[in-house]
Amino acid sequence: MADIRLRNLTKRWGDFVGVDDQSLDVKDQEFLVLLGPSGCGKTTTMRMIAGLEEPTSGEIWIGDRMVNDDLPKDRDVAMVFQNYGLYPHMTIFDNIAYPLKVRGVAKSEIAPRVEKAAEQVELTEFLHRKPKAMSGGQRQRVALARAIVRTPQVFLMDEPLSNLDAKLRVTMRAELKHLSRALKITTVYVTHDQIEAMTLADRVAVMKNGVIQQLGTPDEIYNDPSNLFVAGFIGSPAMNLIDGSVREGMFVTTGGTRLVPVDTPDRGRAVLGVRADDMRIDEKGAGAIDVRIYAFENTGESTMLTVQWGRQRVIARGDRHLRKEQDDEVSITLDTAHLYLFDPETGNRIRS
Amino acid sequence: MTGKQKKRLWGALHTALILFAIFVMLVPIAWIFLAAFKSHVDVYQLKLFFTPTLENFATVFDDPYRLGEKLVNSTVVALVTVLIAIPIATLAAYSFSRFHLRGETVMLVIILATQFVPAVVIILPFFVMFRDVGLLDTRLGLILVNLAIVMPFAIWMIKGFVDGIPMETEEAAMVDGSSRVQVIRNIVLPMAAPGLLTAGIFCFIIAWNEFLFALILTNKDAVTLPIGLALFKGEEGDLWNLLSAAGIIIMAPMFVLALLIRKYFVQGMTMGAVR
Repeated sequence: MADIRLRNLTKRWGDFVGVDDQSLDVKDQEFLVLLGPSGCGKTTTMRMIAGLEEPTSGEIWIGDRMVNDDLPKDRDVAMVFQNYGLYPHMTIFDNIAYPLKVRGVAKSEIAPRVEKAAEQVELTEFLHRKPKAMSGGQRQRVALARAIVRTPQVFLMDEPLSNLDAKLRVTMRAELKHLSRALKITTVYVTHDQIEAMTLADRVAVMKNGVIQQLGTPDEIYNDPSNLFVAGFIGSPAMNLIDGSVREGMFVTTGGTRLVPVDTPDRGRAVLGVRADDMRIDEKGAGAIDVRIYAFENTGESTMLTVQWGRQRVIARGDRHLRKEQDDEVSITLDTAHLYLFDPETGNRIRS
Repeated sequence: MTGKQKKRLWGALHTALILFAIFVMLVPIAWIFLAAFKSHVDVYQLKLFFTPTLENFATVFDDPYRLGEKLVNSTVVALVTVLIAIPIATLAAYSFSRFHLRGETVMLVIILATQFVPAVVIILPFFVMFRDVGLLDTRLGLILVNLAIVMPFAIWMIKGFVDGIPMETEEAAMVDGSSRVQVIRNIVLPMAAPGLLTAGIFCFIIAWNEFLFALILTNKDAVTLPIGLALFKGEEGDLWNLLSAAGIIIMAPMFVLALLIRKYFVQGMTMGAVR
């Protein structure tokens, strides 16, 4: 059991900055997700914690030890890789047993521990097989079992579910969550999938261009984004971002529509963020603004209305029983309790 | 002609072509095989039926030919060459594959470029050098020369196999608690085994068949089998029956090796090629 502390961690390759002077504390037993688009530095951060990548500068602490100069094997971490990283020439049993064998655990102790780990991920009947004879999901389970067979101080998981098909991913996600809550081991989890981040994490660190944009609980990340990037990255469909200005306490779109009252001093340029779920859809004339439907989509669980709003398009989520046609007119009302204002220059949130 | 007939005609043509290719390749070997069991008188007659004799095999091992000594020399030289070359080449290949070395590409190209130098060009310096340090006509000398010949092949070949091992597998092993040496021993070597075997056999064949250097650098004690063949020139012309018997002795180990490792060889070849 241990916490992880990163201090001014930087990784550069020539001119390219992978991770830019980042500090981050992962609490003991916390499940922290590093979330971001590819190339944002999340995997690099994790690989530096594992010791597979050498930081250009900065410090990495696991527990009360600075591990910068420790080899991966001496850091007492376990890692699950995207492509599983199994040993193809060994049986499943030997794969799971490898961390114990190589660390000189007594032979008599190995078999029971491997069997226990295999049981936790429901692999007991496959122990004699080779990885080649296993499906993707089963391989990922082997990788998991290999990680939990020891009790490491830290778990590192690098996009462990991204090679699985959609259905299996959902099942494995639940299993992973169950397992992580049962084991109570500090975990750093890298993903570009926001659903994984939202569902698994105690806290999420959203990264972009080597910089952590926001660190917070899934709730905070979703409901209280601190800048334009986080606002646009989290949520599906993405948060609507409407260009405009603030005049006399009203947000005015670039098209000149006086949209909603906002509690902010006047400013020339501003971006209003509103989620698809925070817009009420009424019959024409019954709400705040009448708009024409650009596209109507029915996903089964809900409906998506893309509406033309001056020069911009905005997506609103409607009831699953709502039925409209393209070019119909509806009325839209924004939920003023859940609006976000951003400064388009800096991208930062404007808080009143 | 119906489609089915066309297909069958193609099939027949296919088979015929393959048989022809096999025929062309095997005829010289078949000829040697027959000649080896013929008496001196029969050799010059192209008859398939004759009284086979093992006398040729006895003769080549006797005075003055003493092929046994050459057989030992060839075996020792080829075997020791492989046993030294493969471990060194493996380490070199691993380094080239996994570490960012300064001038990596240049080094790799230079290693390969040594292969483009015609042997005849460097054989004289070798002769002079070996004469000065007393390596002429020694097995050690031949082993050194053969090492120089096979190492580039071995490095390039094994590098291909190591490249094919996913980095993640090695990283997993490192995080799981292995040192670099343990990673190589427990993960890389077993995974690259078919490749190492292929490279080893490849090197063995090169060293076993090596002719030019052995011809110039040996004359009595360290003579190898291919040079031994040249002994069968008598006053009455070439002794084809003896030559053939010796030829079979040279080829036999190759056939046995090929049979033994056929499975791995194909696996190794395709793996190295595809990745």
